[in-house]
Amino acid sequence: MTPQPAFLLHRKPYRETSAMIELLTLEHGRVRAVARGVQRPGSKSRSRLQPFTPLHVTWRGESDLKTLNLMETGGSASLLAGEGLLCGFYANELLTRTLPIEMPVPQLFALYSLTLDEIALPAKRAPALRRLEYSLLEALEQLPQFRTLEDEMLAPDVRYDYVVSERRFRAQPEGARGVEGRALKLLASEDWGHVGLARESLWLARRALAPLLGNRPLRSRELMMQLTARRRESRQGA
Amino acid sequence: MGFSPLVDQLLEALRVLPGVGPRTAQRMALHLLERDRMGADRLVGVLGEALERVGYCARCRTLTEEEICQLCLSPRRDERVLCVVESPADQLAIEGAGGYVGRYFVLHGHLSPLDGIGPEDIGLDALETRVRESQIEELVLATNPTVEGEATAHYIAEQLRDVNHGGQLLKMTRLAYGVPMGGELEYVDGGTLSRAFSGRLPFNLGEI
Repeated sequence: MTPQPAFLLHRKPYRETSAMIELLTLEHGRVRAVARGVQRPGSKSRSRLQPFTPLHVTWRGESDLKTLNLMETGGSASLLAGEGLLCGFYANELLTRTLPIEMPVPQLFALYSLTLDEIALPAKRAPALRRLEYSLLEALEQLPQFRTLEDEMLAPDVRYDYVVSERRFRAQPEGARGVEGRALKLLASEDWGHVGLARESLWLARRALAPLLGNRPLRSRELMMQLTARRRESRQGA
Repeated sequence: MGFSPLVDQLLEALRVLPGVGPRTAQRMALHLLERDRMGADRLVGVLGEALERVGYCARCRTLTEEEICQLCLSPRRDERVLCVVESPADQLAIEGAGGYVGRYFVLHGHLSPLDGIGPEDIGLDALETRVRESQIEELVLATNPTVEGEATAHYIAEQLRDVNHGGQLLKMTRLAYGVPMGGELEYVDGGTLSRAFSGRLPFNLGEI
């Protein structure tokens, strides 16, 4: 096979000197493989096989678990630090938890690569992650349909709740919580990363992703929330 | 061909050691049984005792059979500097390199959300208590230069950013990136080289 552009999503030591890895690849989507010898002391691949670094890889094997053959770095790593790293972990955890093995997702791959560059900049983090989430939902055919349960257009002044199982919206009685049809219509036509719609976009992404994630919470999100809570505390204390 | 169930069990048991495959296990077993039964006896004794008694130091979490380890008790170490490392092996490496006279804190891992390893699993609350209750002036974040190590260092730095001892904010430092001694630039990986470049130091002509 010709070398595939790929990113490492996760890596875990396997046996003595090998690692079990998960990759996001351009043409084959999420791939699980064994990388032999990368945990050996002094192995050159040990330091190259890191998350957030563009790679070129080949593998062999027909089963769900491949054997990594060749691995080269394909450009410089995105310079993630601090909170950017946690956002990167979040993206990786989300993809490993929801993407089926070997489902081709070339658009998602391209967007992931772009996301890594953007989450290096604090102001772009939230919109970049939202776009990735919606691209993931699209790849999994779970994107919300911006219509009512009765398959009618959304009214701008009505508040709606999202019914995940139907992928449609239910009008809320007056005074109940929900998101205005106006905002939802903007979300439907605009870019998901639209800054003015950050709260609505986050709400909808959480709701739509929930059934894909099951009961287990995303640990990287918990970690980020712990950190934010701490910072708030220390600010109040100061 | 196997010798007997018990010998086979021994071969199998020896293979838990790193770097020991079937051939090496066989050599080890035959050596212990045929040539050095006294040595084997000592090994059994020490291994059993170590397993039973060795735990973590209450202060720095390194391996020790005491309540508090030797290094933590030593009056010759500098109380004001604390170095955070991922593993006892990292601590040994820094000790072996020499030059550091402060104390340590061993995490036994790093933050890894995808493996479900959070701050509480690597003793970050204990580290916080330790730092807040002592007179530490500098905290050296010597976790590995991997993404998980960086994330761990970041988390600790956020956790302790408001620590203030006697009007002085806690100084937190990170090990520098550099080109290896005796190395050639041509063979250094791009990431290390670019960080070494951005972290370059003024040339020191020294006192001649």
